Amino acid sequence: MNVLKLLYAYLRMNVQMALAYRTDTAVNILLNLMWLGWELFSLSIIFNNTDTLVGWGPGELIALLGVFRLVNALMASLIWPNTERFNTSIRDGSFDYVLLQPANSMLLVSINRMVVWRIWDLVLAGGLIAAGVRISQTTGVESLAGFLVLAASGLVVIYSLWIVMIALTFWFIKFDNNVTILQALLEAGRYPVMVYPAWLRLIVTFVIPIALATTVPLQGLRGELTTGNTLVFLAAGALSLLIASQVWRAGLKRYAGASS
Amino acid sequence: MQWNENGDSPAPGVDAIRVQDLCKTYHVPEREGGMGEAVRSFFRRRYRDVVAVQKVNFCIRSGEIVGFLGPNGAGKTTTLKMLSGLLHPTSGKVEVLGFTPWERKNEFLRAITLVMGQRSRLSWDIPAADSFLLHQAIYRLSDEEYKQTLKELDDLLDLSPIMRKPVRNLSLGERMKCELAAGLLHRPKVLFLDEPTIGLDITAQARIRAFLQEYNRRTGATILLTSHYMADVTALSERIIMIHQGELKYDGSITDLSRRIAPYKIICVTLEDGQVMDLSRYGDPAQPANGEWGENGGCKNLIQVTANRVAEVTARLLAELPVQDLNIEDPPIESVIERAFAE
Amino acid sequence: MLNIYRRLWQTNWAEQWQYRANLLMYLLYWLVSPVVYLAVWTTVANAQGSVQGYTASDFVTYYLLLLMVDQLNADITIHLLAYKIQDGTLSGELLKPIHPILTNTLVNNLAFKALTLMVMIPVWLLLCLLFRPDFGTVTLPNLLLGIPAIILGFGINFLFGAAITCLAFWTTRVYAISEFYYALTVLFAGQLVPLDLMPPLVQQIAAYLPFQILRFFPIQLILGRLTGGEILVNFLLGVFWLLVALGLFQLVWKQGVKRFSAVGA
Repeated sequence: MNVLKLLYAYLRMNVQMALAYRTDTAVNILLNLMWLGWELFSLSIIFNNTDTLVGWGPGELIALLGVFRLVNALMASLIWPNTERFNTSIRDGSFDYVLLQPANSMLLVSINRMVVWRIWDLVLAGGLIAAGVRISQTTGVESLAGFLVLAASGLVVIYSLWIVMIALTFWFIKFDNNVTILQALLEAGRYPVMVYPAWLRLIVTFVIPIALATTVPLQGLRGELTTGNTLVFLAAGALSLLIASQVWRAGLKRYAGASS
Repeated sequence: MQWNENGDSPAPGVDAIRVQDLCKTYHVPEREGGMGEAVRSFFRRRYRDVVAVQKVNFCIRSGEIVGFLGPNGAGKTTTLKMLSGLLHPTSGKVEVLGFTPWERKNEFLRAITLVMGQRSRLSWDIPAADSFLLHQAIYRLSDEEYKQTLKELDDLLDLSPIMRKPVRNLSLGERMKCELAAGLLHRPKVLFLDEPTIGLDITAQARIRAFLQEYNRRTGATILLTSHYMADVTALSERIIMIHQGELKYDGSITDLSRRIAPYKIICVTLEDGQVMDLSRYGDPAQPANGEWGENGGCKNLIQVTANRVAEVTARLLAELPVQDLNIEDPPIESVIERAFAE
Repeated sequence: MLNIYRRLWQTNWAEQWQYRANLLMYLLYWLVSPVVYLAVWTTVANAQGSVQGYTASDFVTYYLLLLMVDQLNADITIHLLAYKIQDGTLSGELLKPIHPILTNTLVNNLAFKALTLMVMIPVWLLLCLLFRPDFGTVTLPNLLLGIPAIILGFGINFLFGAAITCLAFWTTRVYAISEFYYALTVLFAGQLVPLDLMPPLVQQIAAYLPFQILRFFPIQLILGRLTGGEILVNFLLGVFWLLVALGLFQLVWKQGVKRFSAVGA
């Protein structure tokens, strides 16, 4: 499929760019491990003082950490570098070159830059998830399948949200800083949203739905969601992608000065 | 290299580009400075209509090279953007290779290219060769097509020594060569070039011009280029389209324009001992063009005279003044164009 | 000399005012982590009554005070200076007859702080309304003592921050080093989790390190949880580390400038 060929081509280009800065990669991986150490350490402090957090055990929180890191990796490897690239290209006009290419512009804008070493982060996240699932002794292939599928859907929601955020630049050029809201609120994804006061819970579930990408998949893992619920969340993911691509298209029309 | 043997390019004689009653008006928000105005504009924005392109009509045949001239803000770039599909017009019809550009169909995008001299499409940190590979993937070029085209471009532009260096290490001229190559890897049939030689030194400009001529000869591609440098236009195309304040002022050959606008000649007089004299009783004082003119960097005594009076004035000059050398030349294109715009 | 500072203040304030849009984003970052940890710990405390002596209310008080202290102590030197060293703009400042860091960078920091406080104080008050911290144990003398403690903390933070930023004279990885420094703050200063809740080993090490002067010490001081003796010891420790930071900074700066001028901008 052509999308895969494109992905591969951009991956190659970004690997080459990364190779030019090899030591930076090593340093980044070390820092990443350092933060992982802290995250696990703080979890251990919590569980030294309690057995469960809103009814969730350590295994589940480790799996949650894994999912959180997965979303964070998406942000760090794709969303941040491409936001910067996109904002620059709008400002200096090189975005025109994206439009001149015979490929989906939304896709091009999403994969132009990739922070390649973050693949390591994905592996780490996967490890955490696997370990967390083991520790929590979750039953049933169904729960596991639901968990994975919901995690993927959650990532799609975050991605779609990002697309809408950067598409806003087509209408309001000065709003090129809004992606930081996403990153800041992402911190709330570290813990199950039931922990938060009602107002924060509302924000991270409905306004900037971090919860859809972190807490909800874990609820699937714990078997707390019915099939109906799961389907609703999956539909939300698909719907978000649809909305995002429509907003993107409208934004392009605006950029091209179409009066409609 | 016979690229149009596979029947891709429209045969010469067919219109590659057709523009009809093209109009583009920008709706620009207006705002003065100051805090009060900023608050006011938040509630009710005032808009101003800026007419960028007004009822422009022209047709370009397949295989033609056309120069697109006009001062800054005339509407050249806007028109090019509409032709390449980046902008929607306010009204009017455009057909490029049978496509409506702003529908941005993939087949259309694969058949054209837009190279903007002031904006780079290449990635800064990696060698151009790697950007080319990316281009191959995006345009879905097969390995054979890609390799062959690259080899041909390499022959014409001498890319081998510069392709593997990171783009940021290249000189402006080298980078422009790579930009052009990147724009041509997919063998487009229509080339839109927006100031491709801007900022380059004379030799680099000449090389790019030679390349474009050869490319057009070999492939029959249609080329529409805008430039500030008259030399680009005079070297490459006989036909020019002049645009000023959004309106099409002239569409035809350069020689015809010269003849029509400026039926006058410039006489350069070199007097003995390098004297400078006031020659106003012979003809109007003339300005030399920038460095395109005079043997030793410029003529000190320049007058312009209508064509029919050249013989008479020359005779008088030779008789009345200690003339060491005398040159009769056509006015520089810039002044021709300037006068055309002034009308 | 005072005149110089006054002028610098004016220009820096005007400069920071231009970047006020970024302020909202900075505000968000400042806000989220403490609120997240606050929520976690109050949940635990509510479920079991208290956690090692901290009730839910104690946690609320701790984190809300932390928000303030964090902002008052914050040092953004790395964002102000690192790029100037890396792209050579620093040379302009080196030509002036005043120490660029101890004047311009310092005032820049303070201007930023003033601007952010302007925005943060109303938000903080709102948070207080939402979370209802109990500042009952705060007495006026403790609050007054808190002021020099915070200034001391800022001094240490600023000088260490400047010293780290000066490493940019030698390496491009200053941001990584700065991140590592922040990690030490998290571990030893009670930045994300109150120091009391950390394992005893960590607390023992932290007692000698400067990091807790930055957060934990002022917080506990203001909340009236320290004895007179503990307050004194910590102040002395703080002064000691301030001098160390100053010495370190001077050393790195001098060597750095030498190298900077030798290598050329």
